[in-house]
Amino acid sequence: MEGLNFTENRSLIALLAAILPLFSFVFILASKKGGGANFALSTISLSFLLSIYLFSQVWNAEPEHKQLSWFLIGKVQFYAGILLNNLSVLMMVLVSGISVLVHIYSREYMKSDLNIHRYWAYLGLFCFSMLGLVISDSLLLIYLFWELVGFSSYLLIGFWFSKHAASQAAKKAFVINRIGDLGFLTGIMIIYTQFQTLDLARLFGDGGLISTSSVENGLWISGSQQMPVIWLSIAGFAFFLGAMAKSAQFPLHTWLPDAMEGPTSVSSLIHAATMVAAGVFLIARIYPVFDPLVLDVMVWIGAFTAFMAATIALTQNDIKRILAYSTISQLGFMVMALGIGAYSESIFHLTTHAFFKCLLFLAAGSVIHQIHHYCEKNSHDFDYQDIRLMGGLRKRMPFAFLGMCLASAALVGLPLTSGFLSKDSILIRAFEWAATREGVVVILPWLMVLTSWLTAFYIFRLVFKVFFGESREIKEDKLGHLNDSPVQMTYVLLILSFFCTFIVFAFNPASFESSWLWKGFQVSVIEEISIFHWMVPLILNFGSFVLIFITYKIYVLDKGLQSIEGTWFYRISNREWYFNEIYNFMFIRSVERISLLTYRFDRTVIDGLVISMATLTTTISFIIDWFDRKIIDGLVNATGSFSKYIGRFFRNFQSGRLQHYLTTMLLAVLSFFILSYLI
Amino acid sequence: MIPISHFMLISAGLFCIGLYAVLTRRNAIQVLIGIEFMINAAVLNFVAFGRYDKISGGGQMFALFAIVLAAAGVAVALAIILNVYKYFKSINPTKTDTLRD
Amino acid sequence: MNLLSILIFLPIAAALLILVLPSGFQQRFKYISLGVSMIQFVLSVFIYTHFNNTAAGINREEQFQLIEKLPWIRLDLGSIGKLEIDYFLGIDGLSMPFLMLSALVMFVASLASWEIKTNLKAYFSLFLLLNTAVMGVFCALDFFLFYIFYELMLLPLYFLIGMWGGARREYAAIKFFLYTLFGSVFMLLVIIGLYFSVLNPATGNHTFNMVLMMDPGNYINGSVFSAMAGQSILGISARLLAFIVLFIAFAIKVPIVPLHTWLPDAHVEAPTPVSIILAGLLLKVGGYGILRICFSIFPDAAIQSAWWIGLIGLISIIYGAMNALAQTDLKRLIAYSSISHMGFVLLGIASVTTEGLSGAMLQMISHGALSAMLFFLVGMIYNRVHDREISNFRGLAELMPQFTFFVMIAFFASLGLPGFSAFMAEAFSLIGAFTSEDVNGLLPRWMAIGASVGILLSAAYFLWTLQRMFFGQVRLKGGDTWKDQLVDVNTREKFALVPLAVLALLLGIFPSLLFDKMNASVLALVQLITG
Repeated sequence: MEGLNFTENRSLIALLAAILPLFSFVFILASKKGGGANFALSTISLSFLLSIYLFSQVWNAEPEHKQLSWFLIGKVQFYAGILLNNLSVLMMVLVSGISVLVHIYSREYMKSDLNIHRYWAYLGLFCFSMLGLVISDSLLLIYLFWELVGFSSYLLIGFWFSKHAASQAAKKAFVINRIGDLGFLTGIMIIYTQFQTLDLARLFGDGGLISTSSVENGLWISGSQQMPVIWLSIAGFAFFLGAMAKSAQFPLHTWLPDAMEGPTSVSSLIHAATMVAAGVFLIARIYPVFDPLVLDVMVWIGAFTAFMAATIALTQNDIKRILAYSTISQLGFMVMALGIGAYSESIFHLTTHAFFKCLLFLAAGSVIHQIHHYCEKNSHDFDYQDIRLMGGLRKRMPFAFLGMCLASAALVGLPLTSGFLSKDSILIRAFEWAATREGVVVILPWLMVLTSWLTAFYIFRLVFKVFFGESREIKEDKLGHLNDSPVQMTYVLLILSFFCTFIVFAFNPASFESSWLWKGFQVSVIEEISIFHWMVPLILNFGSFVLIFITYKIYVLDKGLQSIEGTWFYRISNREWYFNEIYNFMFIRSVERISLLTYRFDRTVIDGLVISMATLTTTISFIIDWFDRKIIDGLVNATGSFSKYIGRFFRNFQSGRLQHYLTTMLLAVLSFFILSYLI
Repeated sequence: MIPISHFMLISAGLFCIGLYAVLTRRNAIQVLIGIEFMINAAVLNFVAFGRYDKISGGGQMFALFAIVLAAAGVAVALAIILNVYKYFKSINPTKTDTLRD
Repeated sequence: MNLLSILIFLPIAAALLILVLPSGFQQRFKYISLGVSMIQFVLSVFIYTHFNNTAAGINREEQFQLIEKLPWIRLDLGSIGKLEIDYFLGIDGLSMPFLMLSALVMFVASLASWEIKTNLKAYFSLFLLLNTAVMGVFCALDFFLFYIFYELMLLPLYFLIGMWGGARREYAAIKFFLYTLFGSVFMLLVIIGLYFSVLNPATGNHTFNMVLMMDPGNYINGSVFSAMAGQSILGISARLLAFIVLFIAFAIKVPIVPLHTWLPDAHVEAPTPVSIILAGLLLKVGGYGILRICFSIFPDAAIQSAWWIGLIGLISIIYGAMNALAQTDLKRLIAYSSISHMGFVLLGIASVTTEGLSGAMLQMISHGALSAMLFFLVGMIYNRVHDREISNFRGLAELMPQFTFFVMIAFFASLGLPGFSAFMAEAFSLIGAFTSEDVNGLLPRWMAIGASVGILLSAAYFLWTLQRMFFGQVRLKGGDTWKDQLVDVNTREKFALVPLAVLALLLGIFPSLLFDKMNASVLALVQLITG
């Protein structure tokens, strides 16, 4: 490791920011049980401060790229290094910032847990891998951190490992992410074969290898290297598969709702704000590799995922599951945006979504936390994540209510919120994109609008059910125990609420073009059509308000629509489009069955072959043994026994009786005489 | 004159009777008697063939000699039989088979 | 006395010492064997640090390091010439890593031998004999010497499995012995054929020198294995046939599907230390042999059969993983996972690219450490409650947190979590296999993509096991008695597990520790094979 020569200290700072949480992981794991909160918080805070500093240095400045040699295989040198540009510093601030908030929140939220030191350690590992992921400069390093992120998510989902569902969900998350990893790895193999390097700057930078490679006569050519052009598309699909798994896109989305078995703070940090955004981040980072075919698929997958998840969220009753599906739906928006080329809009939405979705989870978490305590105090037990059993919490938990309302408004994209800026920008781009095309794609923006309206319905259904009306389970006379969460948690909610407003991202609440963040990534290639810029937000918000009003009527004033339960639409939505059942049947069962079959094959056929060879050999040897004993040895024995029989015959004459001897003599003499007479 | 063949027939008959007795009797005394029969058959032959040696009477002489020898033999044989009886408590020759291998 | 000779014959000396010592000392024997492996490890670290990275070795005798060459058997055979067998040792980048691995695995196996309670004198002398044989195989450069060490491994293993093994130990031992012997007997024929085909240019005698066998110029014109002559046996080219015979001999050790069935039985019935050695070292002898002998001496035949070898690797990966999924016995599961992981070695080797070969080598070292760790961990559970059935355990994480920690390291490292050596190894085996179509056109691209499914399956069976045995509420078949018996990791066990975990982690983060040492050799090997 000689020549650690980071001449400029920006890269060193980035390295330090990433490594600090790793220290926290190692030290807390090595330390005694029960502690670690302060250490974890201080390391991640330091990390956050460093990220802020870096952000101020790198944002809209010259990108920074420093690397040193990692290892050499054959003649190919692999480097490990740090690549800092707008995207990575933005992600750094986002990840470390939200982590700090979640750390503060968790001090209270996880206080009573016995194995809390593991929790802090795992959070440290997660922050390390996530920060490492965003600053890495080569595909191999990104892949490394990519899987580490999945691993820390596995640990955190399965944090309460004695719960069966939690360990099940952790396994499911890891295995499904592994499917994506295979895609990622395949992509790496293709890129490496084509370009003999995995360095991001060399591949995707200005005048990078990807942009100089060309497609001619069905061949994908780069320098002297060439392969059929189909491999370019396959590479795109492969990377996209990786992103799909991590960002929970159809058909690899089923792990995310199950991942809600982890602590809510974890769901908020990992499964809403940061890790699931890694897929979108990956697509953004290697954007040039995707060819039009892949981008089209991306559009449809994203759009379908957004729509499907929204329909599922309509009828869920577990508060965290609704939010999980909402996350999937929003990630679908981002993926779709990337597919249509709305690069900056997608990153913008990623950022705003991180804040408001984090807030949604944390507010939900404080509701769950308080109800949990209420249950413990009153020794009253019910499912404290079921929104059907909640109600009327508005007055008891005003801060949670405030946070939840703001975040929901941002999620729906109501004016004056951050979501209004980012989400509407995506929809505007979608309309613009569709306007340049013909055919079935025209329905795509309308599908997204519909999805957006559904969002308004399901999220306000949640708000109204939890915070309005009356609870069936929580009795009014005992409500004295139920109030807002401890101050630490409430502060976090307030800070996040601030980040859900437009002011953080743009001074003009109506125009996303004025956002500093959007400008930071502006590479848009879509032709602007100004009519959409005021029409789309208008239609969208009008529809949203109408739907919120309807929701209010249904769930607060209790009017109509309750009979929808039992219809086929309700069933499909409630059972999450039966994906789990289908996968269970198609993949898990069949793999299990195939594995049992192969094992039986192994035991009976292959080992059976070996054993039957052995049996054959022993049988042949038995036959030979028989032949040897009976035939060959038999001949020898026969000579022996022949003389024995003769001896035995003559022995008979030796009877010891004189008269016999005499008789014999007589017979002998007589026969002698007879013979001599005859001859 | 009695032809010589008559003597020989009688002698052969005697011999055969004696032989039969020797081979089949279950009593040593009877076997001994059988032996006497055979000796006497021989003696009879001597006497009968003495006809052809009238001058020196060799046939008669041999007959006398054989009779004496037979008497001595019988004495010895009886002594053996007595001893056999003492030892085996039986004079059945089939019982005295200690010569067997 | 050369360093390598010390490395090889130190265990034999210790074994003699153990044989001479009275049985009253038998509780000390394990310390002797532990001490031997520690000395070996120190020596191998010394060799590692003083290793010359630039000397390639492979087919250049002068580039081998720590060479020791003594005439051993010289017999005048009259008209056939002079029998020339050398005591010829030497290492290059291909064999050096295995010396370290052997010393480390032997160290761990010695620590695992604490569980052996009966007939200690015989056990430890056989154990040390095995140590000698393994070290010898990796150092020998004379084919005859190699064969002697190769066969010498079998004998102690047969007794170690047959006498100290589990319930069906005799069946397993005889199956293992016959299976491997079957492979090596035919190898002997090829060795003799090679002997009569190759002349030592320096002395003009026939020779067993492996390095000389790699040079086509040393073959007698018109001899059986001369590349020019193109002789054929039974309608198959003689060189191809010899390659296949040698390949099968080593492939049984690796093992490949469908020649693998000795492995689950032998691993399961063997006592823990022997399982560790079997998985950690014996399988590597197969891979090493394929590289050092099959591919180096018969490069033309290797190129011809690369496609098939790659296919076998792919089948082994998937098939082993599928079988592992179906297992209910923890040890058997790990045995099948070994088959799957060794498939990557085969795939990497078959690609004949620098990436693939480096990946295969790293995979062998990495799997050596990790499988040793896995079997050690299984042995720990088995020692405590004499049961390894997965369904009989549940919620072990609460009872044995430290044990679970080590299990998770071993499992995740094995399933290829980045940061651990197996990840680098599998990734580069696959990358090598993938680039092969462009570099030398040996393997089609779908093989690499198909093989990557094995990574997914390995995640599935390891995580499923983790979930079934370690997570959830505590529920044991043996009830409270088991609860008392299942104590957490003790100091001795930590001494065994930590070095292995550290090795896996180090090689995962700094693969250059290994790649740098063997890069020159790998390049030379690729050059030799592809010409």
